[in-house]
Amino acid sequence: MTAIAAERYTGASIKRSEDPRILTGAGRYVDDIKLPGMLHTAFVRSPMAHARVLSVDVSAALALPGVVAVFTGAELEAMTVPGPDALMALMGWAGPTPEFTLLATDTVRLVGDPVAVVVAESRYLAEDGCELVEVEYDDLPPVMDAAFALDPGSPPLFANLGNNIARLHSRHEFGDVSATFADADRVIDFHIDVHRHQNVPMEGRGCIASYDADHGVMTMYAATQSVHVTKIAVAMRLGMEQDKVRVLAGDIGGSFGLKIGASREELAVAAASRAVGRPVKWVEDRGENLTASGQAREESFDVRAAVSNDGALRGLDVKMVVDTGAYPGMGAMVPDIMEAMLPGPYKLMAMGFESTAVTTNKATYVAYRGPWASETFVRERVLNLIARDLGLDPVEIRLRNVAPRTDPPAVMITGRPLVGVTTRESLERVAQLVDFPAFRRRQAEARAQGRYLGIGVATFIEAAPGPRSPEGPSGPMGMESMRLRLEEDGIVALFTGQMPHGQSHQTTLAQIAADEFGVPFEQVRIVVGDTDVVPFGLTGGSRSATMTGGVALHGARQLKAKVLDFAAYLMEASAQDLLITDGNVWVRGDPASAIAVTDVARRAASGQFGADVDAMLEVEATFDGGEGGWSGGTHCAIVEVDAETGIVKVERYVAVEDCGALINPAVVEGQIRGGVAQGIGAVLLERSAYGEDGSFQSATFMDYLMPTACDVPRIEIEHLETVPLDADVNFRGVGEGGMIVAPPTVVNAIEDALSPFGVRIYEQHLPPARILELIAAADPDQ
Amino acid sequence: MKLPEVEYEAPTTVAEAIDLLAEHLDEASVLAGGQSLIPLLALRLARPAVLIDINGIDELSGVSAADGWVAIGAMTREYVAEESEAVADAVPLLAAALPLIGHEAIRSRGTIGGSLAHADPAAELSAVARALDAEFVVRGPSGERVIPAAQWFEGYLTTSRRPDELLVEVRFPTARGDTGVSFQEVARRHGDFAIVGLAASLVLSGGVISDARLAFAGVSDVPVRAAAAEDLLVGERPSTELFDDAARRATDDIDPPADLHGSSDYRKTVAAAIVRRGLRAAADNAARGSD
Amino acid sequence: MADITLRVNGATCTGSPEARKTLADFLRDDLDLTGTHVGCEHGVCGACTVIVDGRAVRSCLMLAVQAAGSEVTTIEGLAPDGELGTLQQAMWDSHSFQCGFCTPGFVMQATAFLSDHPDAGEQQIREALSGNICRCTGYQSIIDGVLLAAERNRER
Repeated sequence: MTAIAAERYTGASIKRSEDPRILTGAGRYVDDIKLPGMLHTAFVRSPMAHARVLSVDVSAALALPGVVAVFTGAELEAMTVPGPDALMALMGWAGPTPEFTLLATDTVRLVGDPVAVVVAESRYLAEDGCELVEVEYDDLPPVMDAAFALDPGSPPLFANLGNNIARLHSRHEFGDVSATFADADRVIDFHIDVHRHQNVPMEGRGCIASYDADHGVMTMYAATQSVHVTKIAVAMRLGMEQDKVRVLAGDIGGSFGLKIGASREELAVAAASRAVGRPVKWVEDRGENLTASGQAREESFDVRAAVSNDGALRGLDVKMVVDTGAYPGMGAMVPDIMEAMLPGPYKLMAMGFESTAVTTNKATYVAYRGPWASETFVRERVLNLIARDLGLDPVEIRLRNVAPRTDPPAVMITGRPLVGVTTRESLERVAQLVDFPAFRRRQAEARAQGRYLGIGVATFIEAAPGPRSPEGPSGPMGMESMRLRLEEDGIVALFTGQMPHGQSHQTTLAQIAADEFGVPFEQVRIVVGDTDVVPFGLTGGSRSATMTGGVALHGARQLKAKVLDFAAYLMEASAQDLLITDGNVWVRGDPASAIAVTDVARRAASGQFGADVDAMLEVEATFDGGEGGWSGGTHCAIVEVDAETGIVKVERYVAVEDCGALINPAVVEGQIRGGVAQGIGAVLLERSAYGEDGSFQSATFMDYLMPTACDVPRIEIEHLETVPLDADVNFRGVGEGGMIVAPPTVVNAIEDALSPFGVRIYEQHLPPARILELIAAADPDQ
Repeated sequence: MKLPEVEYEAPTTVAEAIDLLAEHLDEASVLAGGQSLIPLLALRLARPAVLIDINGIDELSGVSAADGWVAIGAMTREYVAEESEAVADAVPLLAAALPLIGHEAIRSRGTIGGSLAHADPAAELSAVARALDAEFVVRGPSGERVIPAAQWFEGYLTTSRRPDELLVEVRFPTARGDTGVSFQEVARRHGDFAIVGLAASLVLSGGVISDARLAFAGVSDVPVRAAAAEDLLVGERPSTELFDDAARRATDDIDPPADLHGSSDYRKTVAAAIVRRGLRAAADNAARGSD
Repeated sequence: MADITLRVNGATCTGSPEARKTLADFLRDDLDLTGTHVGCEHGVCGACTVIVDGRAVRSCLMLAVQAAGSEVTTIEGLAPDGELGTLQQAMWDSHSFQCGFCTPGFVMQATAFLSDHPDAGEQQIREALSGNICRCTGYQSIIDGVLLAAERNRER
């Protein structure tokens, strides 16, 4: 055997195990799968935003050669079990619950609402078939904005609700709101809008449903963030026992929150497969993805801030309205998270938070990377507006407001302790990395030449997974499970309910397990994507670094202990004298004693042991997050705004982030950069646009503009790995942070660039035309 | 987003293509590079009964220079025109515009003739053709005719090509030695269609503007020559004030459309800005050229 | 439907696609070469990029019948013996990708670009790849992979 290797994978940018197949076109995404006898589907979709469906005539479609079946909304209702949205049920939603059919039957509620599904020999023929389905609609007035939705005179989208309220108005207060505002040196109030934009993964939604009538088993090949949640959704809707549904997932082309559970289309496809007795595939095209898959972020805020003359933000009182689109999704739940997160890392004394949510004839509000992100946008805009009023610089105003890192930690006014939060350190580090005085000089020189440069700063914290709760873990996400097994061939296999779709878990979890167990990285295999084989889990909420990294670490440790007990028996040694390094088990101080882990595994599998020897080299581990913790940091952007054309260029972008210990720095940085790119996209390019008449205006990539390599600069990243909270698990998540904090960072920079014009910005989407409007409308003396 | 059913013909000669066009008229679409037509088919916005694929007609490709003109066969790929020395030497405004057309992969297939026959008013080539008074050679059952750019662009995605005619060649006049050009474009992202674009060409003779061409992309349903601004410029020496005046004059007469990417006012404002910038750049290039 | 013959990744292939079938769909469905991905079907995202007769093209904007007689290279054709090419290796080393869906388009576009512009700098590479959309990476790691490949090609 080789000399003892002190290999340490964790913390290194180990090359990804995923890449050999990704780089050679050998990935297996849903649309790559072909099953014998497989059929294809397309959906007949409403061209109108709001209408009664008077009739659906499928006869011409059925007559088209190659069309095998057409199912209308009514037929699908008869084939399935109505019930609440699975995700909402899982999350315990108790508010207004609209009643609706799987596909539209008597009412269509958004452009793109599916009305019927055509099953054919090819997608080409299925689309041809869709054109032949004749649907008679009777226009209804569309509800296209929150103001109208809140008006009791607006036509209710759902008969059983009788109005368009998706979340009942609620108000909560923390601290003494009225006193704080009464005593404030000044109160500023304004309205902020965040615009509708969306996930847009490069792979849309899709699935293959394959019903085996002989055994009554439904197999779904899915693109999903959790095979188990998809299974629950499919079983519920199809009225099947859970153990009769199996969900498989392979490579997934991104999701960012979109692909959770099962969409109405996927459930219809499952029902169709059962009805026709053949596998049925649905892969949405880009038009469907942009129009109907779901959108996010359309929120508006009335904000009052109680401020003292030295720039301290004492209180916030916020009234929020979420436009949740047509069908139930995450939108109605998002105010709760926003309320909890709004204080951020700052010393707020009081907060009032009021919210309601409305249904409108637009795509359903779905989770999109950091669904609560607007709380950071609002807060970081407030701070900049205060700073501008008081003539303070953006770093200084934040330093004055940030809660100091104390022991015990400061507690957010909404209850969570800011344990280990390093906002102050990240602000100071940004001020070192970016020479603000030099920038201000350059900015002044540029202004003299009619060029407008600006600098913006914003901070954020992300509950990734959040600090340990005194009541202990709660909900299905409170604990993470993993099964770990030493396979007969010596591979350490980790079975996890995580469902990576770009997060590189196949690599990062193997790094942790390899280090903890003592085998080479190549000797670890991460198993995902099969409900028959993996425990419950979901990839989302920036929790996998801690929760799954943690259960991998502790689980590997437990498995190692078990393996050492067995090895001790084999080697006639005492377990505490044994080590595993570099794939070998050996007695401390006696290298010659080494036997390969592979041999130990083989011996265990040979199965000839007495009852007192445990040769089952497998453990079921759980992890509750340990001490948990926050991720967070400060971002800074320098932009140039062309005041004649409104075109904005992001010249420089700096991110100082603290996500605790890094498992794989390249993976962490990739997540941050991708999130920042989405944030830049949101501000400068992306908008899911509807006309007042209900028409949808961004159904192609010609109109929904995605940021490209010329829009995203080099993003300089520095890590603060400062505060270990837990004895073992100090990895914290970074999945969502970039997308949460980049929009206010960029908007703050744009406002700074346009300050000579007196521009104040109360919105997030700033395309070139809007920049010129803001300049024209502003008062330079403000 | 699958293409609808369509009949397909692949003639190998211009004569064959014309016969097919004469037979199918408005029911046929000519498939050249496909970079504009195939998306329309995929979105099922275009529903021709027949596609006449002219990619197999070799005689339609090629760049040649003679008698003060550069003749470009309609099927000449945009990347070929981009790499052509003849174009670089003799039609600098076209050379300036070509790299702005979409992305490399688009230019691998897209053709000079196809783009101009599609006649998107926001396309770079439309503005260049209009600015330079390019000539469009079409051939039909009754023979060949030459259509000047001013008459080529009739309306949104509409040209004066008759349904039984095929665009076979586009000719650009050779630029004089003391020409300075600039193609200005304000687009949301690199490679996008212009929100507003400007093809500008100036000839400086002894420091005085003796010829001025300005054509906008994206301000109307066709590319627009800023004739009044051109008149203002001719006979004058370049100066900031002159260019400001020209910008005002050029945008006085335009009434641009509004869409997701900009209001009418926005386009007017930007049009004026790019006239100023385009004239400055063209004048600088002309001055450099005449040194 | 017409019979077509073309060479794909060095092998002669035949098929009888409908005229309306795109080259992207023909490669994926008829030839089982699912490495080429379909991201938008209207020529904007670049995920479907392949090399036809030496030029990178969007295979969703070509009809399969138009590729008759052509030489087509897809991502599967870059490492036929399993050994990664310089660009693929450099992208692996640079952590260029995450979900991988845009990858084939980037690899093919960058392959074509580097063969024509072996000494391109960062800005040129960014512009050349600005017609390929990635949602995961923010592009920097992809650019780094291409720069590294160019450097390694020069070192040879």
